[in-house]
Amino acid sequence: MLESLYKRKKTSRFDVLFYIVTGIFIILGLRLFAMQVLEGGYYQSKAEGNRLRMVPMTAARGIMYDRNGQILVGSRPAYTISIMPTGKPLDEQELDKLAELIHKKPEEIQKKVNDHKHGYEPIRIATDISMDVVTNVEEHRHELPGVSIDVEPLRFYPYETMASQLFGYVGEVSEEELDEIKDKDPSSPINSGTILGRAGLEKLYDAVLRGTDGGKQLEVDATGRPVAEVDRKNTIPGSNIHLTIDVSIQKAAEEAVDKQLNQLQAQGTPATGAAVVALDPNTGAVLAMVSAPEFNPNWFARGITTKQWEQLNNDKAHPFENKVIAGEYPPGSPFKIVTGAAALDLKKVTPDEMIFDSGKHWLIDKRNAEGEALGWLNFNRALAKSDNVYFYELGNRLGIENIDTYARYFGLGEKTGINLVGEAAGNVASPEYKKKVFDQEWYLGETFDAAIGQSFHLVTPLQMAVLLSQVANGGIRYEPYVVSRVDHADGTPAEIFGPKKLGVLPIPKNVMDLIREGLRDVTSEGGTAGEVFKGFPIAVAGKTGTAENAHGRDHGWFVAYAPYDNPRIVVVAIVEQGGFGAGSAGPIVRDILAAYFNVPQRDVSKQDNTTNTSKTGQGGFARLQSNDTTPTRR
Amino acid sequence: MELRNWRRWDWTIILSTLLLVFFGIVAIGSATHINQTGFHFSTLVVKQLIFFVLNVLVVIGLQFFDYHKLKNWANGIYIITILMLLAVIFVGTSALGAQRWIQLGPITIQPSEFSKLLMIICMAKMLSSRYEQLNSFKSLFIPAIYVGFPILLVFMQPDLGTSLVYIAIFIGMVFVSGIHMRLVRIMGTVGTLLMPFAWFILKDYQKQRILVFINPDIDPFGSGYHIIQSKIAIGSGTILGKGLFNGTQSQLNFLPENHTDFIFSVIGEELGFIGCSIVLMLLFLLIYRSISVAYTCNDKFGMLLAVGIGSMLAFEVLVNVGMTMGIMPVTGIPLPFISYGVSALTTNMISIGILLNISNQRTKYMF
Repeated sequence: MLESLYKRKKTSRFDVLFYIVTGIFIILGLRLFAMQVLEGGYYQSKAEGNRLRMVPMTAARGIMYDRNGQILVGSRPAYTISIMPTGKPLDEQELDKLAELIHKKPEEIQKKVNDHKHGYEPIRIATDISMDVVTNVEEHRHELPGVSIDVEPLRFYPYETMASQLFGYVGEVSEEELDEIKDKDPSSPINSGTILGRAGLEKLYDAVLRGTDGGKQLEVDATGRPVAEVDRKNTIPGSNIHLTIDVSIQKAAEEAVDKQLNQLQAQGTPATGAAVVALDPNTGAVLAMVSAPEFNPNWFARGITTKQWEQLNNDKAHPFENKVIAGEYPPGSPFKIVTGAAALDLKKVTPDEMIFDSGKHWLIDKRNAEGEALGWLNFNRALAKSDNVYFYELGNRLGIENIDTYARYFGLGEKTGINLVGEAAGNVASPEYKKKVFDQEWYLGETFDAAIGQSFHLVTPLQMAVLLSQVANGGIRYEPYVVSRVDHADGTPAEIFGPKKLGVLPIPKNVMDLIREGLRDVTSEGGTAGEVFKGFPIAVAGKTGTAENAHGRDHGWFVAYAPYDNPRIVVVAIVEQGGFGAGSAGPIVRDILAAYFNVPQRDVSKQDNTTNTSKTGQGGFARLQSNDTTPTRR
Repeated sequence: MELRNWRRWDWTIILSTLLLVFFGIVAIGSATHINQTGFHFSTLVVKQLIFFVLNVLVVIGLQFFDYHKLKNWANGIYIITILMLLAVIFVGTSALGAQRWIQLGPITIQPSEFSKLLMIICMAKMLSSRYEQLNSFKSLFIPAIYVGFPILLVFMQPDLGTSLVYIAIFIGMVFVSGIHMRLVRIMGTVGTLLMPFAWFILKDYQKQRILVFINPDIDPFGSGYHIIQSKIAIGSGTILGKGLFNGTQSQLNFLPENHTDFIFSVIGEELGFIGCSIVLMLLFLLIYRSISVAYTCNDKFGMLLAVGIGSMLAFEVLVNVGMTMGIMPVTGIPLPFISYGVSALTTNMISIGILLNISNQRTKYMF
């Protein structure tokens, strides 16, 4: 009896024990089933994410060639250091070691790693590191399992600051931009680390130049050390573009601007910026384009430092602005081409009519710039001497409406249509404009001002170059262009750009001939730029200009084309706050023309002294010139 | 033990144990990258193998021995256990914030592992004389002190996991000793109510483990990392597994401690649901057999021994496997027979030896 009671109790206790054990195994089994069978796919993708790293390989960007096939912008190989994210915080010893080897602060590296949001792609820590740093890091490889050294193509601008606003610069896509891009187009080939064009042609032709980044899929271990390459997608280099720029002219222009600005500054002139453009007047092709001051796009390619960025950003002379297309200036005296053409065409004046310059106009007390009085003048002398009183009178006879109409014939007040971002349209003075903007009536005095290129007129240097091209080529307006060819990836042309005719000046040849003759005499003895071009072996037609600047010293213009009989090049230069045009912008244009026509350098450099400093030695120089030049026209 | 009686040997226990150890050695091999530089046996695999062979001899030897003798030695064993645990506190080496090991020549032993079996013997002796008499708190006083002292010593190492194993063993054995259900109910209630206060005696890292267990994401790179990576390993094994030695989580070291506490994750990743099911099945068979040996054992000491061994194994499997799947906190309890660790392997194999001994003698009685 007792025994059976004992048995029963014992049995029930063991039953409970058995149920508990069975319960434990059922729970474990169900959990296992849930994880491995039901949610297996989810964990599989997690495991793949753990072990696989997509390491992007940057495609080499397309090359920019000049018109003769010279490389203007290319790429060069550079070493980069990256950290493979492991999903764990950085090992502190590894971090300190790396920081020491690449001469950075550990916090700096830590910040880059913390800022990195896009999962498991390698984080670039340093770009373009030197060979001895590479060697150092290589030697400590075993202490730095998560660190990798790669060779990547780095955007390279062999001429450093040359045409920096035209070429633009590149930069790595930021995390914010990437979020935005991926929101818009999830299949976009742009990934973390992709290099994008940020300005100028780099930006405009980014899609062509960029190419397609590739990548390799690496298997890594828990420390981020690559163990094997699983898959690879090769990069497709970007396509090349060909520019109309002639690197030798561009270089000459850069040097001329540089030299001139240095000299002007040495003389105490507040000349801080300049813009120069050279066009082929028969096609509209841009041969050179300089906007000073410039910046060094290599800084951006290597990753710009805060200090460099602040330096550029705080520069009051706006190094990022392409002043050739975006700088709007009063045209000043070169506008007399428009006023003159209008007056002759509308028969408001005959070429031979003499107008008396007493030093001021008889209706309104407006004078010449230097207060001089040139006496009786015909059209040719007035243009060559850039006489203001004469052109006030032409303005008086024309009226502002006619000036406005003819200015627009030459393409002022509208964009030239060059395929660049940021072109300004300028402005043509008119009563309507004044009414609209200032709500004021028009005065005759303003017509006088407008006639000599002041008042509300604003032009860009490029517009000025287009204007002068029309004078040079007989009146055809071409759309200026700087890209002549875009290639396919294999180097065959994808698109070819040539001259594009926008219109023809409705002004007869005899009028234009009179203008051209006047411009020819500008650079001849007795013209406003006679000194600058004294002894220059090529016949040059040009026009000086001194544009009043409300914000400081006058801007100096010089516009020219050459050779006079058969124009092949138009050069326009403006020196901001450079003062008198012949002295500030003139030598720049002359140096560029000298380079274009291969005038020996010795001649040019000596002449600089004569124009910019004193008149001593001029005579001797003239003698030197006399036997090797074509006779100058009078 | 007589060889001609081989048919009556408990083949379920023998085969389950052998298969589990086999699984374990293969998994340790994988976890220590046996296939990576050619085909090399890591010292861990070799050590585990040597101890396995030695223990097989010990188990065979144990069959020529009558487990009843253990009852007479219980007091001596108790004193040895206490001394051993004290030794750990005073001369032990520490690792991972706990002092659990004693260095003996080339091997380090973990006395708390052995003490589990030794305490089973002592408790079996003590409880066998109190069978069916645990009907008041007073009657529980002596056993509680008796067990409580070594638990305290283990807890102070600190080794929360092993002290919990002690408690699990004790509960299992007291339960089959016929403790009055009223006491069970009262203690269960009071215990539950006191649970929150236990928080205050835990070490910071132990608290952290429990917090992380509740939500691994509060510290995904620190203490949560083990759990997250272990779950990824097991889950990504799916039904068939990635193949032996092919687990990315274990081969690429994403899984830490993968040859000891997280060995089940290696099996889960490489052998999948099928492999894990087999391992769990073998463990279940072993525990089931220990309970049924206990049930059919006519002597109380043997019964309690078998229940103690079964409770120990069941609790360790629950906590270890549960931990690798994120349903139990990380407590540092190895998976019996499979995890690397010669102290644990020896303890578990000797336990099996004793179990076989009980099983054999039981059949003798039945005839």
